[in-house]
Amino acid sequence: MNSVRILVIATIFVFMLLIPVVVASGNDSYIFDNELQVNEGITIETSIHIEVVDVNRIPPERAKFRITSYQKPERTITVFREDGPQVNKYETYRGTSIYFDVIGVYSDSVQFSVSGPSNWRVTDYYDVETEEDLEEVADAVTVPKLKITRTLDIASVQQGQTVKVTFKIKNEGNGTASEIELDESTITGAYMEGCPASLNDIAAGATERVSYDLKIIDAEPGTYELNPTLLNYKSESGASYSSESTSNVLVIVAEEVLVPELGIKVTIESDDDVITCGDRFPAIIRIDNIGNATSGRVTIKSHLPDDVRVADGEIDPVYESIKPGDFVEYDVTMIAYEPGKHIIKMDVLWADAEASASAEFWAELSGFDKYYIYILAAIPIVLILLWLIKRRREYSF
Amino acid sequence: MLNILVLGLGQCGNRILDSINSEAFGGNGMFAKYYSNQKFPASVKTIAINTAINDLKGLKCTLAKDRFHVPHLHGVGANRTLGKKVFEDNKELIMGEIDKRGSFDLIFIITSTAGGSGSSFAPRLVEELKAAYNAQIVCIAVLPFREEGSISLQNTAFCIKELIEEKPNGILLVDNQYLKKYAGDIKSAYDKINETTARRLLFLIEALNSEMLMVTDLGDLKTVMNGGVGIGTMGFYESDNGNTVKSTILGSFKPSGLLFPANVYTEGARAMLIIKGNKKYLDLDMINKTIEELSTEVGQVFKGVLVKKGPAKVLSLFTLNSIPELDSLYASAADAIRTEKVKREESKKQLDNAFACIEELEPIY
Repeated sequence: MNSVRILVIATIFVFMLLIPVVVASGNDSYIFDNELQVNEGITIETSIHIEVVDVNRIPPERAKFRITSYQKPERTITVFREDGPQVNKYETYRGTSIYFDVIGVYSDSVQFSVSGPSNWRVTDYYDVETEEDLEEVADAVTVPKLKITRTLDIASVQQGQTVKVTFKIKNEGNGTASEIELDESTITGAYMEGCPASLNDIAAGATERVSYDLKIIDAEPGTYELNPTLLNYKSESGASYSSESTSNVLVIVAEEVLVPELGIKVTIESDDDVITCGDRFPAIIRIDNIGNATSGRVTIKSHLPDDVRVADGEIDPVYESIKPGDFVEYDVTMIAYEPGKHIIKMDVLWADAEASASAEFWAELSGFDKYYIYILAAIPIVLILLWLIKRRREYSF
Repeated sequence: MLNILVLGLGQCGNRILDSINSEAFGGNGMFAKYYSNQKFPASVKTIAINTAINDLKGLKCTLAKDRFHVPHLHGVGANRTLGKKVFEDNKELIMGEIDKRGSFDLIFIITSTAGGSGSSFAPRLVEELKAAYNAQIVCIAVLPFREEGSISLQNTAFCIKELIEEKPNGILLVDNQYLKKYAGDIKSAYDKINETTARRLLFLIEALNSEMLMVTDLGDLKTVMNGGVGIGTMGFYESDNGNTVKSTILGSFKPSGLLFPANVYTEGARAMLIIKGNKKYLDLDMINKTIEELSTEVGQVFKGVLVKKGPAKVLSLFTLNSIPELDSLYASAADAIRTEKVKREESKKQLDNAFACIEELEPIY
């Protein structure tokens, strides 16, 4: 009786010691805790398959597990007894972790536990078919083998454009592939239109082509690597298979917006930008469409200094349109009346946009204007001199 | 309006004419001609005529078109014989130049009696003008300084004689010798004489052409100049404001105011008095009374009163019954001619004697 009590207390004590070690986190709990034979497996949440591959009792005692799960390649891990659950972790495609802990190793079986999310359950127990079994089956069953090739109609696409994605799926096996599920990931900012989630059965040797449109909505410009497309399918015997395509590179460039953009330039033809007051001088106005679209109605608006007048030509013309890369040029003749610095500002208006340009020049008084007061003063002197000369000639003999 | 022609012949006549033109500018100085116009009291045309082109060039206030060069190199060298020939050769030219000025009522011929061109041209010109124009011709003859030499004296003697023979309407004498005492150096004397003569002539022209309070006209001038021997002179006096018009009139009779030395009271034949001045200085009763007194001594006295601004001025114009100074001048001229003749004969004789030394000899080379 005492020995039974001691065994119970010791068991409880060991159990209390194990609890904080086994449970990885506050939210985790045991999903499985039992003994499996070699070549036996369990399925957790229908997608994670854990199979016992081998056991070895020679210290350190260990067991080898084969783990497969959705979107993850097959992986084989070796778990040593007494490693503890924190050492042997497996992470699923979606980032959820499960932990392995080997409790006991026997001649052809192992007792181990699997802990993970508290709501996860073992959904299946099964026997693993050995190679010998497979060889036996191979003679009796057919196996499909799908090869998927993904191609893009264009490798570089602008924002707003659509890429046509085509899958070429060839069944290189000798059995019909059925329940074919196509798992195609996309890139952020793109929308797949018409991408099938499942495909019809593909007979052995047959080739199927499937296309969908990948619309680039607001994906950032850049170079993207499209993840491989995953095909999950089953054979006639119900065995599951998967294959994937190679990755593709897609370059997304910024959407080219077709807008006209006009530039205006004012050139005053003069020597050293100096104009003589009262003299005519030409000014050339040029409007370039440096955008990538034809402009609509183009209006030119001038802002002349008060003392500058247009002597000849239309300074504020209106153009119905200017094609991209094209330009219009016109010249006007102007006159500045006052000396000093002058700035001619010109605006070009189109649609809701405008651009401005200005030209500076100096106006100087002409020689006549500078010296006209002296000339005026000299005129009477000259007249007097002429008069004196005339009178002197009248009196010269 | 009277049409008057003033001819200045020879160097002396040219210079007096130039003074007249200068005075016509209003006495505004030598630069007046460059900005002012001549204002004659009548329609006056002037022509300076000379054979010496340098004399014509030396004129300052006479228009070039009013200077007429009679082509004969540079003057006739005081040779009246040559001068007369030159005149005859160029008579048509000279008269043609005068004819361009139109017709005239009164012609003044101003000339020196001592020179070549003027003294030889004047008598001949009087003759031609009398024939060509129905105008009174008055010669203003300038007598030379007595020390100028025998040629000047003999030219004067023959010039005046020939002038009188041509019977102009009158001859007014201006005596350089007499006037020299009123000036300093010889140039100043000439300038003073020319200026004085010019002013008196313009005074006379103004009087003859003006509407006067008491009228003297061209007919009166003719009558006065016909008096005596037809030779006269002019006197002038300008009062200061304290003088009476009588003293002013009598002042013009004083020798110091005359252009030729004469005793008006004893030698005067007829006279014309032109009185000009502010009305307040012109007491007509006193003028009439003074004229009456003078008439008893001088003979016929014509008077004209010209009311103008300024103090009273009197121009007196006389003709003389006798001219003692001319007698003296002619005597001196005759002596000079004789002396010249003797000297020339002696010189000729001396030269002949000199030539006799080489008579019948030939040069040997």
